[in-house]
Amino acid sequence: MNLAWKEMKKSNTKFVILGSIVFLISLLTFIISGLANGLSQDNAALIKNLPDGTIYMETAAEETHALSAIDTDTEKQVLMENDGAFAFSIQMGFLLNEQDGQQSVAFATSTGSAEFPDVAKGDIILDRSLEEDGIKQGDIFNNSQLEDEFTVAGFTDGAKYSHAAVAFIHPDDYADMYRTEQMQMLFVPETAQPRTVSGLQSFSTEEFLNTLPSYSAEQLSLSMIVWFLVVISGMLFAIFFYMMNIQKLGLYGILKAIGVKTGALFRMIWTQMLVITAIALILSIAISQLFGRVAPSDMPFHLPVDATLQLTAVFFIIGFFGATLSGLQIRKATPLQAIQQGEESA
Amino acid sequence: MIFTTQDIQKTFKTGEVAEEILKGIDLSLTEGEITALVGASGSGKSTLLTIAAGLQAASGGEIHFDGGELTAMNQEQIRKIRAQSFGFVFQSPHLVPFLTAEEQLLLMLETAGSPLSKKQRREEVDKMLHSVGMAHRKTAYPASLSGGEKQRVAIARAIVHQPKLLFADEPTASLDSTKSHEVMGLLQQLTKTLNIATLMVTHEEDMLAYADRVITMKDGRFA
Repeated sequence: MNLAWKEMKKSNTKFVILGSIVFLISLLTFIISGLANGLSQDNAALIKNLPDGTIYMETAAEETHALSAIDTDTEKQVLMENDGAFAFSIQMGFLLNEQDGQQSVAFATSTGSAEFPDVAKGDIILDRSLEEDGIKQGDIFNNSQLEDEFTVAGFTDGAKYSHAAVAFIHPDDYADMYRTEQMQMLFVPETAQPRTVSGLQSFSTEEFLNTLPSYSAEQLSLSMIVWFLVVISGMLFAIFFYMMNIQKLGLYGILKAIGVKTGALFRMIWTQMLVITAIALILSIAISQLFGRVAPSDMPFHLPVDATLQLTAVFFIIGFFGATLSGLQIRKATPLQAIQQGEESA
Repeated sequence: MIFTTQDIQKTFKTGEVAEEILKGIDLSLTEGEITALVGASGSGKSTLLTIAAGLQAASGGEIHFDGGELTAMNQEQIRKIRAQSFGFVFQSPHLVPFLTAEEQLLLMLETAGSPLSKKQRREEVDKMLHSVGMAHRKTAYPASLSGGEKQRVAIARAIVHQPKLLFADEPTASLDSTKSHEVMGLLQQLTKTLNIATLMVTHEEDMLAYADRVITMKDGRFA
């Protein structure tokens, strides 16, 4: 007999209330996590979206990419020796439109790669967030460091850097703007063992992100907020499941008195925990994803599958822990104790 | 004799003080008989019943049931015997609040590991509810049953798996006089027809008329 299901059907109000609490707590965690991830993406999506690989910058730059300038011979040699490798540079700047309206952007250029869009000289490809701000294909922009004008040739997704939209430009335009032929960084994809290049320092994508001035401090704070929330939510989860089962000690004692196995009682507790948590999490995930779609673009929200699965697993583990903890109390409870408690309260 | 105890002792320790509740009890129960334990509060009758039922351990002595020694068994073996061969009726009905009257009995059959098919189990449950006059309330939950009806369902649950021993701890304590007689009449009838050995604790003298044997307890001994 499925005792767990029968109890949930009969005492549905109690379980709906418990499920609602689990749902609200998990929804809050998913939303905050999505906003934290969104901020992280807003800060470094351009780098995060790169495939697995190694980033090189000049050792003398001391981990500040804006100061890195890779020797052109070294660049040519690395690009020649590694398929799919490319050189790239990123500099913060701004675009001026015909009405002298200013738009902060991160100018990015590369020597040609699948990850950075191809841009013709004089053209510019912008992150799609700027299209939502009203910029259209064919719009003209200029820059105080460049005599020529930029024409918007198109838009691309997920190109954000340092909380600014990325503007992809041709290497020649970049060279004219910043008066340098040298690129700041090299990217070599899927290098299992990063090879040493004289005068260059190698970084994994994650290591490189931590060299960005604001990134590590921001991520540390956001991660702390999210995991603090996860710990509090988890404790609430565990406490609610524990309290729910402890209140039923008398019932479990009677069931034990008539011979029901303790294992069957554990299965009952776990089934209820699994059903409540699964329904609450499915709803939370659905609503948080919906929130991600309707949230204004100024509120970056990013909740990828791996982060969702990670949080889901944490909630299940903690729920299981809380339910098992109460199960251990039930295991200790003697049938006689339960009967006497029932008699006293009768 | 299906059930015997030899020199059962029970001592409770509170700090340094040891209180002897049972002082060497020899008891035997026979099928088809109701044995009533009576005595003043604190005489040890409920303690004896719960030890006999395997709900708590004795401090000394032996309990023999159906050829086996209960006092030498582990918890799992005692649980199996409780599920398959013992029935319990408590002062409060202690029904499972989220199961209907029918489901209470089906759960007992399942717990006892009944060899009956699902259909046969339902038929057995119907028969048992009919015998306690509760067939018309089989889909009712405990919350919608009166005190007497709950105790009838509790009795049906206690014997639906055809136990060899029935333990009844003040089964009429929470009922009025009319319902008490109804319930005791029912217990007497089922004890005889199903050939069960029933051990009952009561403090109501009216109910002793239903017992085949009355044992009075005083200060942890049979008086």
